[in-house]
Amino acid sequence: MNRESNVYTIIYSVVMVVIVALGLAFTHQVLSDKQIANENIDKMQQILRSLNIDASADEAQEAFSKLIQNAYLINDQGEKLDGTEGISPDDPAFSTELGDSSAEGMPVYEAEIDGATKYVIPMSGAGLWGSIWGYLAVEAEGSTIYGAEFDHAGETPGLGAEIADTPFKGQFKGKSLFRDGEFRSIAVVKPGRTVANRDYVDGISGGTITSQGVDNMLLESVGEYKSFLENLNAANR
Amino acid sequence: MEAINLIVRSIFVDNMIFAYFLGMCSFLAVSKNVKTALGLGVAVTFVLVITLPLNYLLETHVLKAGALAWLGDEYATMDLSVFSLLIFIAVIASFVQLVEMVIERFSPALYSSLGIFLPLIAVNCAILGGSLFMQQREFANVGLATAYGFGSGIGWLLAIVGMAAIREKLEYSNVPKPLKGLGITFIITALMAIGFMSFAGIDI
Amino acid sequence: MALLNSKTKAVLLGPLSKNNPVIVQVLGICSALAVTSKLEPSLVMAIAVVLVTAFANVIISLLRNSIPNRIRIIVQLVVVASLVTIVSEVLKAFAYDVNKQLSVFVGLIVTNCILMGRLEAFALGNGPWPSFLDGIGNGLGYGWILVVVGFFRELLGSGTLMDIQVIPESFYEVGYENNGLMMLAPMAILLVACIIWVHRAQNKELQEESN
Repeated sequence: MNRESNVYTIIYSVVMVVIVALGLAFTHQVLSDKQIANENIDKMQQILRSLNIDASADEAQEAFSKLIQNAYLINDQGEKLDGTEGISPDDPAFSTELGDSSAEGMPVYEAEIDGATKYVIPMSGAGLWGSIWGYLAVEAEGSTIYGAEFDHAGETPGLGAEIADTPFKGQFKGKSLFRDGEFRSIAVVKPGRTVANRDYVDGISGGTITSQGVDNMLLESVGEYKSFLENLNAANR
Repeated sequence: MEAINLIVRSIFVDNMIFAYFLGMCSFLAVSKNVKTALGLGVAVTFVLVITLPLNYLLETHVLKAGALAWLGDEYATMDLSVFSLLIFIAVIASFVQLVEMVIERFSPALYSSLGIFLPLIAVNCAILGGSLFMQQREFANVGLATAYGFGSGIGWLLAIVGMAAIREKLEYSNVPKPLKGLGITFIITALMAIGFMSFAGIDI
Repeated sequence: MALLNSKTKAVLLGPLSKNNPVIVQVLGICSALAVTSKLEPSLVMAIAVVLVTAFANVIISLLRNSIPNRIRIIVQLVVVASLVTIVSEVLKAFAYDVNKQLSVFVGLIVTNCILMGRLEAFALGNGPWPSFLDGIGNGLGYGWILVVVGFFRELLGSGTLMDIQVIPESFYEVGYENNGLMMLAPMAILLVACIIWVHRAQNKELQEESN
């Protein structure tokens, strides 16, 4: 058959497309379980890092189930929703993503470290190039930060991407979300600047928009948990 | 406003060549004189401006997880993202082919000045890189994706024209023998990249 | 049957030095230098490129007598893109962290000029076995540059290798500092320039006449 004829070219491309599609779909099917497991472990590692624990991928699952005592969804009033408890990856508390409009509530993770309870809440927002997200660990009284973890999809390396590094994240420990009983969150300011009525941390020089993104995320994402945190405040007064 | 900001950032801060080294092969090979460099830069910008929105629409309406929801509920859970690489490169390659045929048919003059670069562009990392960054950065609408394509293209053009201008002058300098040609070009690229880093943090 | 006669040996070993794809043929610099700030992603990237080049070469070489000439480029791109997708799926499943560090640059292997260059120049005209060796050789020739750059950037930039501290604490106590400049992207290019310098000082026949 003539290699340059139209019929041959068309048949050739069709056969090629079918083979390639089948091959890729098959590979994806075979590997997808493992990929999902990896994503779950990655999420666990992030939650653990917000509690200042750096677990390797192999230890993450074990450390997670040991430290995280409970996880559940809460509603707008900060009340626990019944039937949403459980920390395994299939439970709603773990699989619910923040900002998903069809979700029943917002996830909270309860951890116990050295006998004290910490609450871990997820955050999500937008940076310069794409989404940024993170986890904030709060002490039992609902205001003081115990630890923070940030990650990003594709901020500029060496600039905005540094929000994921320890020097930035480490600043959060000990800051307070509430001041004089009011929810103020924590500001991210240009290095060297100060803010009067809120606790603040230094942003990344050269990563202005990413820093602003973190600032917004701390205000808006954490703001959604305001009633939950106020309930904790009240319980501990 | 957001679009202008995006264009400026992708030209200076996230320059395809100086921040990510995308499209280096043709950058090094075709930067010997300003005129050809300009031709290739324009061609790259043109292809980026067209293929990026095209791939953006494919990504948001066909490839992304749940993107097929408009076909009906039973398709809402489908995730075709495993094919995204294949589709992107196919779109780019066929578009380049198409442009080549159209230009050859209607404007032989333009074809003879631009034509030799077109096949090169299908495998220019900057083009596919643009589409992959677009996928990763999840732009809000097709306008922003186009703006990003335009900015990246202009940034690439600026880089290659600047490089060509420097190399034309370099003819008269006394470069150590082992560094002649490729070596000194690499060093200049690195120095230009360090220069471009001072744009980091600009914000409109 | 001798698997390596003198011709196939040249095909395999040539690209490592005299005919190196990066520093002599000037191919494939694009996609990967941005990932060389650490040794580990450089190594993974090198391995991925070796595998993709080798298998793409073999597949195209097997198909070389059946591909319609008009859609040659597209067929090559489809083969390469499928292989790269498979590599990226495997990485996502078995080396999730590294895959995150490499991000879009795994996908960019598709437009690595080495691949298209070798497919066009070699695989379309040679049998599967020499093509396989040619792929391995060129992949390795590219890989070792990447690994060398990654080695120096991580050692000088963070004082670690494969994330293990190698510069002893006592150095820091007497005032040694990590060179933060090494972590920035332009240093990758500058290091390649240094490799070219050394390589061409050794191999005088590769030196160019004009700038």
